[in-house]
Amino acid sequence: MDIRRALSITKRIFRGLRNDKRTLGLMFIAPIIAIFVFGLAFSGDVKDVHVVVVNHDEGYHIPPAAVPVWISKMIISNLDKDVLKVDYVDTEEEGVKRVQKGGAYGLIIFPEHLTRDIYNKIQTPSLTLSTTIQVRLDKSNVNVANAVSKAVTDAVFKTVKEAGQEMPVVVDAEDAIYGKGAKFMDFFVPGIMAFVVFLLTTLLTLISFVGERTSGNLERLQATPLRESEIVIGYAIAFSIIGMLQTVVLLTIGVLVFNIMIVGNIFLAFLVIALLAVVSLSLGILLSSLAKREAQAIQFFPIIVLPTFLLAGIFWPVEAIPSWLRPLSYAIPPSYAVDATRSVMLRGWGAGGIWVDLVALFGFAVAFLGLAVWSLKRGRG
Amino acid sequence: MKQSYAIETKNLTKKFGSFTALSDLSLKIESGAIHGLLGPNGAGKTTAIKILCGLLKPTAGEAYIFGKKVPDRSILPQIGYMPQETALYLELSVHHNLALYGELYGMSRGRIAEREQELLQFIALEKWSDVPVSNLSGGMKHRVSLACSMIHEPKLLFLDEPTVGVDPELRASFWEYFNVLKRKGITIVLTTHYMDEAQHCDKIGLLRQGVLIAEGAPSDITRQTNTTNLEDAFLVLSRQEVKA
Repeated sequence: MDIRRALSITKRIFRGLRNDKRTLGLMFIAPIIAIFVFGLAFSGDVKDVHVVVVNHDEGYHIPPAAVPVWISKMIISNLDKDVLKVDYVDTEEEGVKRVQKGGAYGLIIFPEHLTRDIYNKIQTPSLTLSTTIQVRLDKSNVNVANAVSKAVTDAVFKTVKEAGQEMPVVVDAEDAIYGKGAKFMDFFVPGIMAFVVFLLTTLLTLISFVGERTSGNLERLQATPLRESEIVIGYAIAFSIIGMLQTVVLLTIGVLVFNIMIVGNIFLAFLVIALLAVVSLSLGILLSSLAKREAQAIQFFPIIVLPTFLLAGIFWPVEAIPSWLRPLSYAIPPSYAVDATRSVMLRGWGAGGIWVDLVALFGFAVAFLGLAVWSLKRGRG
Repeated sequence: MKQSYAIETKNLTKKFGSFTALSDLSLKIESGAIHGLLGPNGAGKTTAIKILCGLLKPTAGEAYIFGKKVPDRSILPQIGYMPQETALYLELSVHHNLALYGELYGMSRGRIAEREQELLQFIALEKWSDVPVSNLSGGMKHRVSLACSMIHEPKLLFLDEPTVGVDPELRASFWEYFNVLKRKGITIVLTTHYMDEAQHCDKIGLLRQGVLIAEGAPSDITRQTNTTNLEDAFLVLSRQEVKA
């Protein structure tokens, strides 16, 4: 193992990139597009849902006031305006028709004696009376339906609180141990970092190595004193640097545009990403031995993208994946990188906190590097 | 083992599954000679060269280069290999392609620069040093590829079809290069399926379906087969082989 020869390979890759603007663009423009497209599209919040309100509430004269009050109106004014776009109809039938025609996702029905019943209940807690706000939804889209239910429940709680009434039980989830005030993007950026680096590194080394093979360059290299391990190490150095640069780009956008939170040591996150890049490029080299032409390499695309996209915990937690499928999540390297970068950036954990992830990634890196060297040597069969 | 032979092979055989690419090849190639391996596509020429360069392992038999049994890493600095394919980094300049191989052979920066000057002059591309290889014509790429395999001054050069797809003028100049190298004492093993240019070799081996069917100086081979050129000689030999 001669590190100078390995570095010659690294230098060759960077020199090649200087004259290959397209690949360079893919390396650094693609992550930017990814963070914007995914970040904005998957922001996780449902917004601008049309609902109709059928308000039968007659209001109530609360003595000694001369004018009646409508609790229904207070609740409506407390509905989250970003989530719900409220429209009014007179009858339930009309509302249902509106939903059936696709003009709304649901209707909220306030009963006739809403205000009176609530007042009486407050005055005389022993009354067994209870009142119901009916929410009839189009549950064909579960996410939207859940967002509407939550908006209505939140508005009711807020109204009760504003009226100076105490809830008998309060659930307070504000004082978080980690990720206090975290938004979807805070959760998402570490995931997209791992995803982008894994995907691009694997694809670029795959394509680049198929090129090395078909162009005859690999054979010429193998006829020199260069060893296979030096080729792989040369690639590893180049692509871990590229992976870290991609991470810098993503984090810069994350901080400047999406105002993400980073509470941990960012260099530890870089280390994780560099390890993931080494795993990815080894995978790329391995797969390249199965492809005879660049076009065949493209066929590996879904094999690389889909499991990572679905199982690595980038968009939803591994806990949301059925337990029988979870072993697959633990079998793919990006899962560990996603978990580790998230723990570092949001929980502020150090190497001690993410040692399991580090060991797993290191193990994958060593194993995959070994396999990549083996696959190159096997060509000499 | 006599040192005078640059290459010696004994019953070299290579099988890919049930397909025999090379069968019982026994060759002796003298130092400082230009030796041609001739034959149609699939005759086993490239397979033989790859085994000698350590890129393939023989299924049976053995090969020696400068008295050392291949594969042996210690031989690698003394040999140069020009693959059939262009085998250049297209997005790198001529200079950087040459420098890469110079570095891989552990040459100093100064020595690489000297060799680069010599080689660029040799292949008449002095003004193209900083141009990306992708901007060069096919013939120019061929010349750069030859230069890359010679940056480290190898004593033994393996050239796999160095003149395929090369126009007649450039082919003539390639043969001039080869003769210059020969005068410097460099051994050249090249493959070709152009029978006419094989006349320039000191010695040739005719391969057909992995089998060496004739070996010797081109003039000897034509004399033995009562023909006037190697093409006819090859056809005569092929027929004899089929009968046998």
